[in-house]
Amino acid sequence: MRTRILGIVALVAVVAATYTALFVVPADLNQGDAQRIFYIHPAAAWVSYLSFGVTAAAGIGWLIKRDLRFDAVALAGAEIGVVFTAFTIWAGMMWARPVWGVFWQWEDPRLATTALLLALYAGYLLFRRLTDDPERRATRAAVVGIVAVLDIPIIHFSVEWWRGLHQTPTIGSPDRIMDPAAPGIFVATLLGMMAAFTLTWLYLIVRRYQLARAELAREERVRLARIASARSAFERAQPTQPAQPGQPTEAAR
Amino acid sequence: MSAVRRDARIAVAIARKDALAELRGRQAIVSTLFFSAVVLLLFGFSLGPDAARLAAAAPGLLWLAIVFSGVLAVGRLHLLETDDDALDQLARYPVSRRAIYAGKALAGFGVMLVIGLLVLAAVGILFAVDVLAAAPALLVTIVLGAIGVAAVGTFYAGVTVRLRAREVMLPLLMLPVLAPLLLGAVKATVAALAGDPFGELGAWLQLIVAFDLVMLVAGAATYGYLLED
Amino acid sequence: MPQTTIYVSPRSLGAPDTRPPAVETDDLARLFAGVPALAGVSLRIDGGRTVALLGPNGAGKTTLLRLVATAIKPSYGRARVDGLDVVRDVEAVRERVAYLSHATGLYDDLTARENLRFAATMLGTPDAHERVERALADVGLGERANDRVGGFSAGMRKRLALGRILLGAPSLVLLDEPYAALDAEGMGVVDALLAAWHGAGVAVVVAAHATDRLEPFLDGRVMLERGLVMAVEGEGVAASPPAPPASQPAPAAKPAPAAQPAHAEVRR
Repeated sequence: MRTRILGIVALVAVVAATYTALFVVPADLNQGDAQRIFYIHPAAAWVSYLSFGVTAAAGIGWLIKRDLRFDAVALAGAEIGVVFTAFTIWAGMMWARPVWGVFWQWEDPRLATTALLLALYAGYLLFRRLTDDPERRATRAAVVGIVAVLDIPIIHFSVEWWRGLHQTPTIGSPDRIMDPAAPGIFVATLLGMMAAFTLTWLYLIVRRYQLARAELAREERVRLARIASARSAFERAQPTQPAQPGQPTEAAR
Repeated sequence: MSAVRRDARIAVAIARKDALAELRGRQAIVSTLFFSAVVLLLFGFSLGPDAARLAAAAPGLLWLAIVFSGVLAVGRLHLLETDDDALDQLARYPVSRRAIYAGKALAGFGVMLVIGLLVLAAVGILFAVDVLAAAPALLVTIVLGAIGVAAVGTFYAGVTVRLRAREVMLPLLMLPVLAPLLLGAVKATVAALAGDPFGELGAWLQLIVAFDLVMLVAGAATYGYLLED
Repeated sequence: MPQTTIYVSPRSLGAPDTRPPAVETDDLARLFAGVPALAGVSLRIDGGRTVALLGPNGAGKTTLLRLVATAIKPSYGRARVDGLDVVRDVEAVRERVAYLSHATGLYDDLTARENLRFAATMLGTPDAHERVERALADVGLGERANDRVGGFSAGMRKRLALGRILLGAPSLVLLDEPYAALDAEGMGVVDALLAAWHGAGVAVVVAAHATDRLEPFLDGRVMLERGLVMAVEGEGVAASPPAPPASQPAPAAKPAPAAQPAHAEVRR
């Protein structure tokens, strides 16, 4: 029930923010309406990074607590994260085309950074599929997720360094809305969009986690049932109690 | 014997064992070197014949060749442990997991250093780049780059060694993580070859050092979990 | 065959009554891909005893050995070696247990001697060089010491793996079908080792299909079938019947979070 409320709130927030970004805020002087995408792009990017953080943190949680629900969170984070990362790239491409005439360019390497992030996510998810045993998979995925997350700030840092050495054209720069001198409406819309995205992300994560946890519970029931049936097969095969010289051990719980 | 000394002894023993096995039979270094030579030749074919263009692209081609060869070479070192389930036995010795990682990373570093130096020489010859003039700076870059590739590669080779699709998963996992190292190493190489006109060589090398440290620590800390089961 | 010298850790000594059981399991269960290989085994093997683990293929003998050897972790239940939990105290258990499995874990490109020397360094064997030579002699591989293991037959590899066990000082030795693939001389080596371990107070658990050759060395037998203990006989071994189907298996122990283990401190 609470999840449903969260979903509705998120939906309302997204609709409101989108409406504001599309119709209320004035168009950019240089880029025209295409610049509006940049209310979405940072929000999607922020949520992509957040997802990976959640995946890595949940991985650490598994390694410490060995509770498979942590792994369910990690999986949810990765799946939702890959969706938002792909969306971020798509939004970036949709912006680049009308403004710069091409879908992709290397001058502003943040597209490449996000593409690397997507590669890290894809690798993580593909890697998960190669192990069947739940505990083993959780451990290996946790380790892979942690190292990948450590790489993200290094990627960011190195790319910013790279960018700093080359003059990027300011007219086409997406940073204009980050300019502190920008009128309040721009900043407010951006922040509103980020909040809306974060709520949506949270809703999706919770839903995906609930699904994964239900699957875990189901698998556990199957395992216990198999053990029980092995034990009853044993009982059926035993006409009498087996002979036991010496005292039996207490079956400790 | 103190803990660190014992760990160091274990690591050296593992690295020696790997080196011995590689020299004896597996010819990992030789076949990987041939592979990098072929890669460089193909680069030449696809980007040439304009000498100026090739010379300009040389730093990138150098490190691409090193990184691609690195995937192969470091992967093979872990393949050693699939001999009769040797990894399982290795995991059950009463030695620290850090020491096992350090040993395999040390062996990987040795291999990568040899590969890196020889590929550098090959690039100098094939693409008419004067590597001798900038030799000290280039050497430092190769050493630091080799550490990074070994640290990351050893970790991911451990991750993938028991997987079904290990041949494709290793590069898939390793290469995105190596992107910042690639960037830094290429930029450092460019700066070194040009005589460091903007004084950025130090900054790029610092980036590589930071990368190496983070990856070594992360690898040593998490490798034990890979040996768990 | 010359007398085999077994090196025994100080902790292996002491009157049998005062020692914790060599192996003790509580409702131990392990599943692979959802299928139970062990479905709840509760048994006890006393210190210093030689016990056979018998049963048809798929009974769970290898799985039980691997769980005790810390090669795999339990799905449910607990196992202890010398009173130490195999999950929580995994490093301490590894110092005490030696395991001969179907796979020998030897490096094909190294010679027999090099393989053992490497193992000696890993195990922290004192006087490593002499110990390696003695181990090679004890298993009858002295003449092949400089040959690469890649050229060895399965029987010779197994003998070398037994030699590796001699480099340690385990208090529990786990053997998975030790006679398989061995010729008469090799089987003689196993016999000598079994006698020597028994004499030195080292507990031995042997998984086998039949006990003919093992009889002279055995204190007890455990019969497994379909992942459960059917029966036990002899001395120094006991088991509880499996829990009823309706009962929940106990959860398995969780590994200690600080994953960096201490290395072997006990010197022999």
